[in-house]
Amino acid sequence: MLRGTELPHQRTQNTSESPCHHNNMSTPEGTERGGQSNSDNSEEKDWAAVKALFDNAKTRKKPRPPKPSNAVTIAVSSRTLFNMVKERKVFEEEGLERYVAHQLELEDQPFTPGVSFPFVKALMNVNAHLRELYPDSEELFDIVLMTNNHAQVGVRLINSINYYDLTIERFCMTGGESPIGYLKAYMTNLYLSKDSKKVQEAIEEGIAAATMFPCDSENELSDTQLRVAFDGDAVLFSDESEIIVKKHGLDTFFRHEKEFENKPLAQGPLKCFLEALGKLQRKFYAKNQRISCPIRTYLVTARSAASAGARVLKTLRSWGLEVDEALFLAGAPKGPLLQKIKPHIFFDDQMFHIEGAQELGTIAAHVPYGIGQKYHKGKHIDTSDAEKNEKI
Amino acid sequence: MEDEKNRTGPLMIALQYNDLFDLDSISASTNTEDALPKGRAVAFVKAVQTVNERLVEQNKSESLLFEVILIAKECSEEIKMKIVESVKYYGLEIGKFFFFKKEELINTLQSNKVKLFLSTDRDDVCEALHTGIPAALLYEQSDDHVLSQLKVIFSGDVIGFSEDSLDSLSDFGFSETQIETLKAAKICMKEFAVLIGQMKRRFGQENSPLCICVLTAWGSTNVCVSALKTLREWGLDVDEAFCLAGAPCSPILAVIKPHIIWDGGLHNMRDLSAHS
Repeated sequence: MLRGTELPHQRTQNTSESPCHHNNMSTPEGTERGGQSNSDNSEEKDWAAVKALFDNAKTRKKPRPPKPSNAVTIAVSSRTLFNMVKERKVFEEEGLERYVAHQLELEDQPFTPGVSFPFVKALMNVNAHLRELYPDSEELFDIVLMTNNHAQVGVRLINSINYYDLTIERFCMTGGESPIGYLKAYMTNLYLSKDSKKVQEAIEEGIAAATMFPCDSENELSDTQLRVAFDGDAVLFSDESEIIVKKHGLDTFFRHEKEFENKPLAQGPLKCFLEALGKLQRKFYAKNQRISCPIRTYLVTARSAASAGARVLKTLRSWGLEVDEALFLAGAPKGPLLQKIKPHIFFDDQMFHIEGAQELGTIAAHVPYGIGQKYHKGKHIDTSDAEKNEKI
Repeated sequence: MEDEKNRTGPLMIALQYNDLFDLDSISASTNTEDALPKGRAVAFVKAVQTVNERLVEQNKSESLLFEVILIAKECSEEIKMKIVESVKYYGLEIGKFFFFKKEELINTLQSNKVKLFLSTDRDDVCEALHTGIPAALLYEQSDDHVLSQLKVIFSGDVIGFSEDSLDSLSDFGFSETQIETLKAAKICMKEFAVLIGQMKRRFGQENSPLCICVLTAWGSTNVCVSALKTLREWGLDVDEAFCLAGAPCSPILAVIKPHIIWDGGLHNMRDLSAHS
């Protein structure tokens, strides 16, 4: 008798110590796992059936979607993928029924692209390159539409996805329920949404997540290279150093960082996503494509190289990770530099930097983590003390 | 009044007693005076009762209500009494009890105009579908989770695939009989969907006691869209939709926590085709 509630061990594993969601991509072996040791037999059959169906598809030659355990799964919400501002207004002003009816009326009209659209297209481009080099590999980006929109709106969403020829094969339309459980079920590596509450919930559950905002003037972005920029503290790293700045000032901070130069910082919420990107990058390096690698990562930090930079670089090294460019601004505004880099997405924990980036046309995503969140101030001071004690 | 009742309702659902009560956990030390231990179907019956309560709230003379009947193998009078008592003990509204010999299962279901036969046993579901009885899987809820909603999943693969596509499944090792069963299941699903759709329309979109989901395990997003549109044609509004494109089902199902899964016996068939 089938037990529908039994989950293979790996899927429910969520190490509560590190703020990071693990799946096969972050295992040190670096080899693709054909199937987990506890894999459910019927799920393997599920997989074989889909493979067969896709390979024999009479209609268009769409590439086969990867198994979630092998892929880097990016979950995007409908409002970040498409511009749904008008429709949202109808929902807020006239209620659910009218909103659904409105969407049904416009069902055949595709939405216009939203703020995560360029990022998604860049991911698809990387996939195309990966498929060329490794035709049988499943270590690819898998883009999932994760929305708590009503299923009736789904038709219009899928019509829009088809209109722009986006490779999104999987979706969850939760009809109002929280998407967090589904994020875990899909082994999500990064979640992007306009709803900061959901993003916070995801981060608390150990899933890398960021809140996106509408961006009016966008810079012309590369369509051959995916560019991702990260802030350091409280994004890639924990907020332990930021706490020192806020509590004891810059001088203490510099002294502290020099003293603990060789002690790696703790992980931040987006460390695992950088790790996943690094894994894919190494696949290009292995084929002699370091210079023309279609993925480029940047660290854009307010730290200064001289006094606080070493610890950051040593921490990355200790994790076995690298960034292509590490930019230390020593407190200078990030906006102009980002304008030069033109990333498809920039992650930062402080709204001040997000706004600075947006003013100069960069698509920025806020990571609601750490002491930088004013309204969390009371709560985080407590937990950070606990964290410090543990490390000692 | 009598005519109206015959035309629309009730929507009869049949359960097996070994799904309603957890007979495996009865041991020699169990006190025979106590009621039988609860099984996986109890949460389902409670959810159904909630729907009925809400329907009657809207309309006191509502005839399109759920009616749950219990079927059990022929057994001693003592056990029969035990079953009836336990049902009362848990406050379950069971309309009728049927005790029969194993071979008579199909006849019993057919002669009682059962609109849906629910079981946690995939083989039973498949067998019933085979003989044209609408049957679906009763999902095993992991905890004593009492939902204020009845959640039903329809397979987007079965509803969304056209006749031609269903026929082409023979290329993947599905036998003629299996394909015919899928087609028959689709017809049963339609009947059930129409009735549930009528029930659902008694309520608004928000706070409805009925939650309808479409889960497409294999098919592409277009298959899912086709399923959504088909269900709309049949008069049923869908609340949640999932397209898995081959990703494992069980983690997703564990989050959805449905009561009923209408997949036309798809999962069982895959196993069969592997053996043939």
